[in-house]
Amino acid sequence: MKEYIYKFLVFASVAAVMVSCEVQEFSDLNNAEVDAFEDNLTRGDLQDLVGGLFYSSRVNIGTYLDDTGVIGREWFRFSGSDPRFTTDLLGGGSAILDNNTFYITNPWSARYRTVKNGNLILDFLGSQDLSAQFTDQEVSAARGLAKTFIAYELLLNLNLTDENGIRLDVSDANNLGPFVSKTEALAGIRSFLEEGATDLANGGEAFSFIFPSGFAGFDTPSTFLQVNNAIAARVAAYQGDNEAVLSFLEDSFLNLDPQDMDTGVYYNFSEDQNSLVNPMFISANGTTAAQARIVEPSFISDAMAGDGRLSKIVQLEAPVTLDDLVGDHIVFRYQSNSDVIPIIRNEELILLYAEANIAVDPTEAVNALNIIRESAGLGAYTGATDENSLTDEMLMQRRYSLFAEGHRWIDMRRFDRLDELPLARPDDDVFAMFPIPLTENQ
Amino acid sequence: MKMKRAILRGTYFFMFLLVPIVAVSQETVSGVISDNNDLPVPGANVVIKGTTNGSTSDFDGNYEIVVNEFPATLVFSSLGYTTKEVQVTGGTILNVTMEESVTGLEEVVVTGLATTIKRTNAANAVASISAEALTGTTPPPTLDGALYGKFAGAIVNSNSGAPGGGISVKLRGATSLQGNVQPLYIIDGVYVDNSATAAGLNVVSGAAGQGSSSNQDNPSNRIADLNPEDIANIEILKGASAAAIYGSRAAAGVVIITTKRGKAGKTKFKFSQSTGWSQAINLLGVRDYNEQRVRDTFGDAAADEYNAALSSGNLVDYEDEIYGENGVISITNFSMSGGGDKTKFYAGVTHNNEDGIVKNTGYEKTSVRLNLDHRPADFVRFSLSSNYIYSSADRGFFNNDNTGTTIGIALTATRPWDKLYPNEDGIYPDHPNNTSNPLQTRDLITNNEKINRIIMGGTTNLDIYRSDRSNLELILRGGLDFYGQQTRAIFPKPLQFQKIANGGLNGVSSQGDIQNKNYNLSAFLVHGYTTENNLNFRTQVGITREYFDQNVELITATGLVASETNVDQAANTGVNQTRLLQQDSGFFAQEELNYQDKVIATVGVRGDKSSNNGDANKLSYYPKASLALSLNEFGFWKQDSVWDQFKLRIAYGEAGNFPPFGALFTSYNAFSTDGTLGISLIGVRGDADLESERQKELEFGTDLSFFDRRLNLSATYYIKNIDNLILQAALEPSTGFTQQFVNAGELQNKGIELSLDAIPVQTENLSWNLGINFFKNTSEITRLDIPAFNIGAFGATLGTFRIEEGSSPTQIVGIGPNPGPNGFQTFGNSEADFQMGFNSNLKYKNIDFSMVWQWKQGGDNINLTTLLSDLNGTSHDYDTIDLDPDGVLGNGDYRVSQLGQSARVFVEDAGYVRLRELGVYYTLTSEMLSNVIGGGIDSIRLGFSGTNLINIFDYNSYDPEISNFGGNTIFTGVEVTPFPSSKRFLFNVAVNF
Repeated sequence: MKEYIYKFLVFASVAAVMVSCEVQEFSDLNNAEVDAFEDNLTRGDLQDLVGGLFYSSRVNIGTYLDDTGVIGREWFRFSGSDPRFTTDLLGGGSAILDNNTFYITNPWSARYRTVKNGNLILDFLGSQDLSAQFTDQEVSAARGLAKTFIAYELLLNLNLTDENGIRLDVSDANNLGPFVSKTEALAGIRSFLEEGATDLANGGEAFSFIFPSGFAGFDTPSTFLQVNNAIAARVAAYQGDNEAVLSFLEDSFLNLDPQDMDTGVYYNFSEDQNSLVNPMFISANGTTAAQARIVEPSFISDAMAGDGRLSKIVQLEAPVTLDDLVGDHIVFRYQSNSDVIPIIRNEELILLYAEANIAVDPTEAVNALNIIRESAGLGAYTGATDENSLTDEMLMQRRYSLFAEGHRWIDMRRFDRLDELPLARPDDDVFAMFPIPLTENQ
Repeated sequence: MKMKRAILRGTYFFMFLLVPIVAVSQETVSGVISDNNDLPVPGANVVIKGTTNGSTSDFDGNYEIVVNEFPATLVFSSLGYTTKEVQVTGGTILNVTMEESVTGLEEVVVTGLATTIKRTNAANAVASISAEALTGTTPPPTLDGALYGKFAGAIVNSNSGAPGGGISVKLRGATSLQGNVQPLYIIDGVYVDNSATAAGLNVVSGAAGQGSSSNQDNPSNRIADLNPEDIANIEILKGASAAAIYGSRAAAGVVIITTKRGKAGKTKFKFSQSTGWSQAINLLGVRDYNEQRVRDTFGDAAADEYNAALSSGNLVDYEDEIYGENGVISITNFSMSGGGDKTKFYAGVTHNNEDGIVKNTGYEKTSVRLNLDHRPADFVRFSLSSNYIYSSADRGFFNNDNTGTTIGIALTATRPWDKLYPNEDGIYPDHPNNTSNPLQTRDLITNNEKINRIIMGGTTNLDIYRSDRSNLELILRGGLDFYGQQTRAIFPKPLQFQKIANGGLNGVSSQGDIQNKNYNLSAFLVHGYTTENNLNFRTQVGITREYFDQNVELITATGLVASETNVDQAANTGVNQTRLLQQDSGFFAQEELNYQDKVIATVGVRGDKSSNNGDANKLSYYPKASLALSLNEFGFWKQDSVWDQFKLRIAYGEAGNFPPFGALFTSYNAFSTDGTLGISLIGVRGDADLESERQKELEFGTDLSFFDRRLNLSATYYIKNIDNLILQAALEPSTGFTQQFVNAGELQNKGIELSLDAIPVQTENLSWNLGINFFKNTSEITRLDIPAFNIGAFGATLGTFRIEEGSSPTQIVGIGPNPGPNGFQTFGNSEADFQMGFNSNLKYKNIDFSMVWQWKQGGDNINLTTLLSDLNGTSHDYDTIDLDPDGVLGNGDYRVSQLGQSARVFVEDAGYVRLRELGVYYTLTSEMLSNVIGGGIDSIRLGFSGTNLINIFDYNSYDPEISNFGGNTIFTGVEVTPFPSSKRFLFNVAVNF
């Protein structure tokens, strides 16, 4: 019997050792923690953080384009699994835009996610001594890039909520700035861009990180500065500040050449599992009532004969119907899962140049519009050159040139012409702006 | 003493000998203890009442005990038998027959981590389910599926009808809003994993897209692996008042499972085979089409196709084609048990093979168990439990999507004249009205989960010291639960939605590999002491340690090469790895006092620390206290009173619920853009100071027993408050985060549980056992520190849950014509008004007939299957007019007209009455089989049984019991084109030899 007792005591003491009471503490095993970058930021870290901007700026961009495209009556979005594209966005029946539904909450929060990613980069750059890793110029260039991204993302959200405004100062998550008016927001965005421009100008020869191919040709501080100015030109146009538009365009990559419509910066997409596929691509064969972007019929009927830009749409074998909406053309602006989506490109700059010149120099405006017409295979503009006629023509060209790039609704709104957009069903409405998301607690 | 009266009445208790002899000191009483089949009962305890002097019977049931003082009362007890007291006046031969316990009152229930208490002395309403109740009526598909209707206080809900489980068990209402709500499962001392890991279907379904961020893959939960045939007993600690000894993991309750063990004696063999089939409980049918309706809804071209198909007899009922299969079921079980004085064993093997009601779905499981007990000497016992499980489930492709690809969604867009069958070359046509052809999807995809799992547990009991009045025992325990799980989701490139021409990904192969290891170690000391006047103290102290380690790797490949499914044979590959590590350490101490079974009091405390807390090495304390008064033991009633038991009890306890893993951190996730790596914030902000949720439960009640325990009543009322609720609160999205983890609220559950067990008839030939339980729970958010928010469904347009102070956490609100001050109209609540279970077992001679009925009154669902069918013009009641208050619109048009106006039509009553289980058996006894194989067969049981044979509900879809978002949430009852549930018919034969 004693042997058992002996064996037991041995076993019990082994068990007691194993059952020691100290518990190990773990960090986040699956993801990089934010705290990890607060000191000793390396060049590799900055590359990853900037890479985050390239990624998160693309998230939910498809919803943004559907929001602007559907309300701007560029197309109808059919979805078998979500009826709200054809009810709420078109104002079908008595439906209105909800303040807690994906069409506003998803793109809104995705844009502010990028703003936060950018603000964290600015924090990390500002809160530690980086002289061992980076030159001052490299730090400045990175700041300029982050500020440009922040400004652009804020602009996209303002495009959705318009007169409802946005929060401009969100650098401290625990102490958010107030919602500001559209005017104040545009001014704030412009000054972010101008600060970014100064940083980029002091940014030396090269960035300390690499860019995706969508930024090819604009991946040095000096060339990215042209992108910054191009975006500032768009903001100035929204402000109606023609002089500023022309001055920003001066420093942008504007090129008044009918052969060069596509120079610019783009979002990249791919089927790589860690990336995103182009959310705007639905093939003709893959189009059914359950999944479709059907072109608003007036886009075809209003088009001028021979307009080469009609290649942005494709006719189906048979019409597709959902919820009393019908059409037989689909949006084919984007032709594969890995097609790029423009952020800003030369065709828009030429149109901004034309727009600003309508009041300043109508002849130059007509010249610029003719460059667009030429590129679309159309003859020169022959209409009247009064301000109204030229604005009509400019909006017409913008409608076809920038189809499915998120402009039509905003253009019609800023010229107060939303009532000119066609209604497919008698009870439909054209909404001017999205409500502020519920969870902003406004 | 009550026994004496029973004997005098002599109606149903077996007679035994009682020979009075003149009192002489120091004499020996001996004899044989046997059961009512004349088989010896080894290991039974014989104790002289009022002392700890005792003895046990040997292998052949022989016992011998020395009695110092006569007259004395001998107490005979053994697990599973009614305790018997016999008065002796001197040394004699006393043969005793023990009755198998019928009412379950003699069983023991858990009160400490290492100790149990007689149920009659328990201060908590602990539910207990025997093997007979678990599997006696019909073999259940999974263990958790066998709990329906069998005890008060458990809400058992199936998430989908897919083979291989997917069931949630919730005890006493909502125990957490966004944390774990599934009970802790402990099998033979081993903490077992019950996680459900997604197979990566989301790549194809896109369900976690715009409307809801929740993954809707609906995998099965791992408790489904356990084999119900192996289980001897399940005890359910429903709330903190009973479960406080399990501390920081016990807030959702604890399910303690004990498996079968060998008994000394003749080796017993059992073979059983069940064969049958399953079929859908409720198919909806096809819309009542005619030419005009087709023309109105689908246009002229469709009307022509309809006419052509009608005249050629080619209209197809695709619902029946897909869900109309009869799935073949086969369950084979073989077990043997036996052993000698020192070593006892139980060994069993079970093989299940079940086909689903959809082609290419099914479930296969093999489970092998070996349980050993060894007693090398009187003062030491070892016991070992080991279980190996292999299972494989093919679950099909159902539930919500955003891409029109799941079979369920595709079916809502399918009309009888659509041509979907493959041609002679096996080529499937593209669906003219949808992105996927459901027949092709059904036939070509794979969605499989395979498990290899080992669960082992060992316990050692050592009697360190033993005397008449006190004893000290050391208990050491260890357990291991290890499994490897493989998930395979394969969508080959010929599928309509995978073709590149249709914008597809050219084939998807998603392969997951999960390694999970939990192990736990514990050591306890138990000291018992009895005073002269029979006041018994039992003290226990112990330490526990638990380790959890899970690694999930999911590889998703798209753009497959030829018909390869290996993930390297693909154009694009994505990898996702998720690790989970947790260490817990704790101690506990408990003191129990028992004064002559009249007053039983317990106080205890558990202290826990865990790596899951913000401060890993801070101890959290979980106290408990309880008191039971057995008024019947006080002698208020005469010995022949009808009162057998009158107990009042009250218990209080606290338990915890950890923050979700990862809630402590604010982190980035990694992505790439055109090959450039980047990290972007995760939208949920963590909080390093987050505290565990804490549940405080007070329960009180009474247990009554009359007429020789043929009528038992139990009533319990409980109040439980859950404080420090961990919520993913909405954060202003302009912060860059959409949500944050906070401790921000308090939840209260109040409820009542009643149960009645009766034996209304008991004669030699006929006996009838009846059990009825009733329970009702009401939940309310009593405090919410953050603004009210919507959660758990698809937004207010379609009906959503809403967390709001002063309301039930499971209220369903939506947009509507008469909104309240919060802007929403309340349309319902997913919590049932009450639930009832009804169990009946009737035995007449060799025939027995048993039933389990379950009644769920009220409780609402959000039914979106019907809406999706309406939008496609295919719902079965599209043209029926009974919803529109004006009586103008058909139901389909009416529901669509309400979209954007009111969510009322999507919220439906999900109450039901079901015949959960039915069994009819005939038993051939050994006498009848005396000439078969030399009389070597003890009994043969033959019969028919079924599950869900009768289902009564108003709900307008396949089954009101559903959860699109899986089990670990209180927001069940959202339906989006699920796998329909099925009923089972089985023919059973069991041979004991």
